Amino acid sequence: MSRYLKTWEFALAVLLVLEILVLGAINPTFYDPENLLYATLDFMHILFAALPLTLVIITAGIDISGVSVMGLASITLGLAWVAGMNVFVAAGIALLVGVLAGLFNGVLVAKTDVNPLVITLGTLFMFGGLAQGMPALLDLLGFKAYGSEGLAAYQYEGITGLPEAFIALTEGTLGIVPLPLLLVLAFALVLGVLLHRTRFGRYLYLIGNNPEAARYSGVPLVRALIYAYVLSGLGAALAGVMLTSYMTSARADLGSDALLPIITAVVLGGADILGGSGTILGTLLAGAMLGYLRQGLLALGVTNDLIQVVVGSILIAAMAAKQLAHWWGERRLKRRALAGRGRG
Amino acid sequence: MADQGPLLELRDVWKVFSGVPVLKGVYFDLRPGEIHALLGGNGSGKSTLMKIIAGAYRLDAGEMRLLGRPVRVESPSAAQRLGIYMVPQEPHVFPHLTVRENLSLGLDLDPETFRRKLATVLDHLDFEVDLEEPAAFLSIAQQQLLEIVRGLLRDARVLIFDEPTSALTFREAEQLFDQMRRLTERGIGIVFISHRLGEVMEVAHRVSVLRDGVMVLRAPRERLTPHDLVRAMLPETAEEGEGPAELERARRGERPVLEVRNLTSEAFRDASFDLYPGEVLGIAGLVGSGRTELAEAIVGLDPHARGEVRVGGVLLPRRTPAICQRHGLVYVPEDRHAHGIFLDLPSLYTMTAGILPRLGRFLLASAKERRIGERFVDLLNIKLQGLDQIAGTLSGGNQQKVVLAKALAGEPKVVILDEPTRGIDASARRDVYRLIRRLTAQGLGVILISSELEEVVELADRVLVMYRGRIVGELEGDAISLERVTEASFGMALEAAS
Amino acid sequence: MRRWLTSREALVTGLLVLLVLFTGLVNPNALKFRSLVEVVNASLSLLLITLGEMFVILTRGIDVSVGSAAGLSAVVLGLTLNLGWPLSLAILAALATGLLAGAVNAVGVTLLRVPPIIMTLGTLGIYRGLMRILTGGSWIENLPQNIKALNLWHLLGVPFFVWATLAVLALTAYVTWRARPARYFYAVGDNPEGAYFLGLPVRPTQFAAYTLAGFFAALAAVVFTSQIGFVSMNAAEGYELKAIAANVVGGVSLTGGVGTPLGAAVGALFMTAVHSMLIFLGVPGIWDNAFAGVILLLVVYLDYHVRRTLEFRRRQARVQGEAAWEAEGGRS
Repeated sequence: MSRYLKTWEFALAVLLVLEILVLGAINPTFYDPENLLYATLDFMHILFAALPLTLVIITAGIDISGVSVMGLASITLGLAWVAGMNVFVAAGIALLVGVLAGLFNGVLVAKTDVNPLVITLGTLFMFGGLAQGMPALLDLLGFKAYGSEGLAAYQYEGITGLPEAFIALTEGTLGIVPLPLLLVLAFALVLGVLLHRTRFGRYLYLIGNNPEAARYSGVPLVRALIYAYVLSGLGAALAGVMLTSYMTSARADLGSDALLPIITAVVLGGADILGGSGTILGTLLAGAMLGYLRQGLLALGVTNDLIQVVVGSILIAAMAAKQLAHWWGERRLKRRALAGRGRG
Repeated sequence: MADQGPLLELRDVWKVFSGVPVLKGVYFDLRPGEIHALLGGNGSGKSTLMKIIAGAYRLDAGEMRLLGRPVRVESPSAAQRLGIYMVPQEPHVFPHLTVRENLSLGLDLDPETFRRKLATVLDHLDFEVDLEEPAAFLSIAQQQLLEIVRGLLRDARVLIFDEPTSALTFREAEQLFDQMRRLTERGIGIVFISHRLGEVMEVAHRVSVLRDGVMVLRAPRERLTPHDLVRAMLPETAEEGEGPAELERARRGERPVLEVRNLTSEAFRDASFDLYPGEVLGIAGLVGSGRTELAEAIVGLDPHARGEVRVGGVLLPRRTPAICQRHGLVYVPEDRHAHGIFLDLPSLYTMTAGILPRLGRFLLASAKERRIGERFVDLLNIKLQGLDQIAGTLSGGNQQKVVLAKALAGEPKVVILDEPTRGIDASARRDVYRLIRRLTAQGLGVILISSELEEVVELADRVLVMYRGRIVGELEGDAISLERVTEASFGMALEAAS
Repeated sequence: MRRWLTSREALVTGLLVLLVLFTGLVNPNALKFRSLVEVVNASLSLLLITLGEMFVILTRGIDVSVGSAAGLSAVVLGLTLNLGWPLSLAILAALATGLLAGAVNAVGVTLLRVPPIIMTLGTLGIYRGLMRILTGGSWIENLPQNIKALNLWHLLGVPFFVWATLAVLALTAYVTWRARPARYFYAVGDNPEGAYFLGLPVRPTQFAAYTLAGFFAALAAVVFTSQIGFVSMNAAEGYELKAIAANVVGGVSLTGGVGTPLGAAVGALFMTAVHSMLIFLGVPGIWDNAFAGVILLLVVYLDYHVRRTLEFRRRQARVQGEAAWEAEGGRS
């Protein structure tokens, strides 16, 4: 049991509870269970993207293109709906686009030795640009008929008026629990099982810790890496779809400012940017912690800008603390070994 | 020379890594104008000791004296200011900078002084090189010379050569020894680390032997025979040993468990041989002779290699590590840290890394996985606090056993062991020897690649010798001797050997 | 000479010339002197940020905060000017801000040992947040004429800032080529372990790299503030990513130790020229990012392909060399 008490996830859970207690003590309305549950709607998209990104970071990779995939999925959904498709079919197509985007990243990362940061930087621009240009592109391809002035009219305003059934996706509840929260938890559960209980998940840790040893051990590196990036793309698309429902509008630039909180959630959750460590639970807790912090501070009248400063500082402080703890641990081991040298 | 005080002296030096002591109270000294050879298996602590002298590591306890004065060496640059320079095993080359820049980096000289000094040093060493080329174009011998030039440019009084000949040809090595002798004439003290006893007996004035972090021998060369050195380096227990493997040699009627035909890659050519069940086949040869590359090509790690490999009579049409494992052909790599182990993950993860597909179709059968782990902890006598102990915190010997467990977990038919005892302590070494005997008794075929020729001679039933990418000889049974294997490794003809 | 012709600088310069010539075929206006000067003028702030980022990448690091650092410097410039500070003093304050922002990154990376991407991702948010806190979130407008006048000043029909940036580029190129401490950036990134063993000041070099990145971001801030005439809260947002892309395109390798200021500058020019040329070609600006991404991916993929082919040829040559050596009876 004491083993669990020493884990980073436990520390995060304690911090999360403390945070809610403190914020609630200052502002009692924060304690309202309904408030706590609904607050998750404001940061669910961070979790949808951050959870599978954990898998990528465990392989010592990174995917910064997710924020563009969000917008790409959103605008795809909107345009498909405008073109007359059922909105849920449209959402399915949006998710498929996310999978394809992830596949593109994954193939490039796995098949070349180019730094994943460079590749996903390229696709960040590419997918983002594609999302912005898609309405005009579809016009060029002859889909103009679906909008009176061409689809390009949606380029800047976004597509509104989506069906109620789709909006209900984020407005609906099961008991008092909002549907998106359930969906996040289900997604986390699936990813958690994948990462911690399956061969595929184990491969990711092995690749992240020592890719050469993984190759020598017969680990299918290419396949495992591609799957990880595909899941990351899927997560980002899921975030885009849910955010579209929540915002009741499909936009190409949806979620474009989410990059910092997404990576912060993963890193604060305990994933090492150099690979080989990280858990789904950690990312979930860290994401929730950051999300509630934002909610709580906003409720207290703290501006968004100051919150940005706080989040950045937490990220740096957590990493510095980790380094310090590592250094201390090494020193303790050394002391212990030298103390026994009389016997040598 | 004998009555001079030491140039450099280390007393009761300790060094600990991740809680594991690597040096346990070592004494070492070096006199001016002396070549002092330091021997010991890889991981005996000799590289660590040299890195302490050169300032790359700090000592955790003990003291270091230069010309009788205690000194603290906090960094390589501090050591260099004191006149200590280490020519590392792998030269520190900046591939994208020019040779001139590679030489001038870290030197605080004005261009004119540098130019004159460099000209003198290059002239003295007979080193001809285009100073404006990027250093990426230098050969390994040239890179080594580059490091020596760096040392001389810093007016070093103590030069440390860490296995300088391991990547050199015979002729290049001889030239290096000439250089070393010339340097000692100027009063420079040289520490010379090598695996090769012949070289040591040729150039050293004195010899020290380090074993498992303890200095076990220090004597002038004249009073030593190569046999003394071998005995000092080998663990006490290896000699009491259980004798050579007791094998029925009448297995020749059987079908080979491994057949290699015309395997060729850039590092070796036309390798063909058979391995029989219950046999230990040694592969000897110098570093760079193609031994490791051959092993890697057999198990599918070199996609460019061409040739045929059969396991149990079945031709493997395509070879990847995973396919070879499925057919019962596994490889325990030479470089444990780079290719074998997952240092920051639980030890169990390394042990089962090769057999994950057998632990369930989708979900990993974790109870089964732990049972397998525990079986190997018992079988190999692995000392750990639990299967979840992080592999990097185990001692070298136990790390090696964890890697061995990874290879054996899939119940292979053929195991290729590349330097299986490098850098591990005496008792772990004994366990590995026992393991090899037990495996062969069970009918496995074992290929043993080792630089420690004594090990090959002791364990192998048959020895293939490689030289410059070719299998140049085969020795069997009583024909296997240290001399014959050594000669063949250096390319001398094996007349009447087999 | 041959080495220069096969260099990345030459490749990208060639591509750039082809791009401009192609555009000129479709729309001759693109080749007018004024158009070309305008392209260069538009690339200046990215070029400066890219140069600063180059130092960090040379040491095997990464800095994703340079856009925010430029924004913060611009805010300080705008605020001090509106407080009535003289132009020179306000510019100094802005440059000091950039230096400080870079130094904070440097402390995090070299002393606290926070991985560069994490450290600068943190400060990316912090500096952007500070910008808005300092201004209360509103744009800084009504800047005095003196700052805008800098941009209007021409010499030989070319804006002052173009000359100034060229001078900075020339100086940087000369210094990194000749000055010994500047070579440390290359050595540290090329072989960090070797640099440490040879007693090079590894940490101070990394420190200097991040600080320089901040300083160059501030230079960029002065340029774009003068060019635009106001400071928006999104100033230089996303420039960190464009600067990394420009470096990669210009041949500055993320694995450290390789690249030149000239390459970085050509990379930045290229990224901006794509934008300008698309306009001349009548392609809506909305496609800029997509093209930038495709070009970045194409360049790194081509580079990978060339490296792999060369490696394959080298291997084959070795095998053949060994065979020839044996055929001559070399085996003895």
